[in-house]
Amino acid sequence: MPNHVARLYAAAGAILALFLAWAGLAAHPWQGDQKTTVTTPADGQALAAYERRLRKDARLVHRVVRRRGAEARAARQAAAAAAQSGSASSSWSPAPSVRVVTPPPAVAPAASTKTS
Amino acid sequence: MLRRAFTCMGTEVELVLRADTGAEVLPRAEREFHRLDALLSRFRPDSELSRVNHLGSCRVGPELIEILQAALEARERTGGRFDPTIHDALVGAGYDRTFELVSAGVVAHSPMPASCGGEVFVDEGDSMVEVEPGYRLDLGGIAKGYAADRVLALLAPAGPALVDAGGDIAVTGGSWTIGVETRDGSVVLELDEGSVATSGRDRRRWSAGGEDAHHLIDPATGKPAEGDLLRVTAVAATGIEAEVLATALFLAGDVDDAAAEADVLGVPAIVVADDGRIVLTGGLA
Repeated sequence: MPNHVARLYAAAGAILALFLAWAGLAAHPWQGDQKTTVTTPADGQALAAYERRLRKDARLVHRVVRRRGAEARAARQAAAAAAQSGSASSSWSPAPSVRVVTPPPAVAPAASTKTS
Repeated sequence: MLRRAFTCMGTEVELVLRADTGAEVLPRAEREFHRLDALLSRFRPDSELSRVNHLGSCRVGPELIEILQAALEARERTGGRFDPTIHDALVGAGYDRTFELVSAGVVAHSPMPASCGGEVFVDEGDSMVEVEPGYRLDLGGIAKGYAADRVLALLAPAGPALVDAGGDIAVTGGSWTIGVETRDGSVVLELDEGSVATSGRDRRRWSAGGEDAHHLIDPATGKPAEGDLLRVTAVAATGIEAEVLATALFLAGDVDDAAAEADVLGVPAIVVADDGRIVLTGGLA
């Protein structure tokens, strides 16, 4: 076999060996069954404590949001009551021009009840 | 005249362009409708609205911010009659899935009232929406109008255009005749610019536990609205305003009250009672 071909084979073999060694080391064979980490009682207690803290925070947030909601609702209702008891001014855009081309068979015109 | 018809937002949508050229804008307009449906539908678990309803508080895109602000402003203007937090009341009434499925199935229980009027906090700067716990959002009362306005703006450069989203109609650029159904025939209106929307109990209705139910929730009771009104059609400058006004006037409950209120507000409206009586008001008479 010519020298350069042998060298090529040797290089490929070295790369393959390097890769296999890397894969083997990455698998952490010395850890054995401990790879499937069992949660120790200490870890479980820490998680449970964390969960309790999160739930407590969530209840606090809900209380804050409900209070804000109640305050905003009361303010909104007061504003609506004030608006309704005041003049009936429209805050809507001006209505577009519209024409009745075909009226219905029986039409009762609205009684105008404009308020000041 | 160019037309395109499709189904979206649970209704039949028709786009009309009074032009011989510009047909390429119609598919784009249809895609926009579907895109907005994907964003705003409470029936789609992957919509942005559903994410808000699921999480209660989250970051959202600018369009949802925009439409929520419009919905909350509409709630202020209507004294709470229009309310985007009626989701649970709709579900309680049996409207817990698309209307196609509701009408095809059976709702075994009577309408169960649910609280409305929950607070919604919108932080435009942070793009955050927060809904008060215990409430969820439904934008069905404003989404079609919003979409109609958006799509009309897309079509307008191509010529006079009309968007009809299940009877909620927006027009621009010319004289359009629009028929509004009543029991004894149509009232035909002529409009150059603006929108017409109808709220009524005669289309989206079903039986719930033997009781008649429909989709127009009265936020004050948390149940389908009662009264002697069958349908209210309102004319306004935009699709959003027309849709909101039609709902708010319907929730006046009484034909005479609705007609008087439309007259005071200067809103051209057609009020149809259960007994077939029709009142034209707000300058239409």
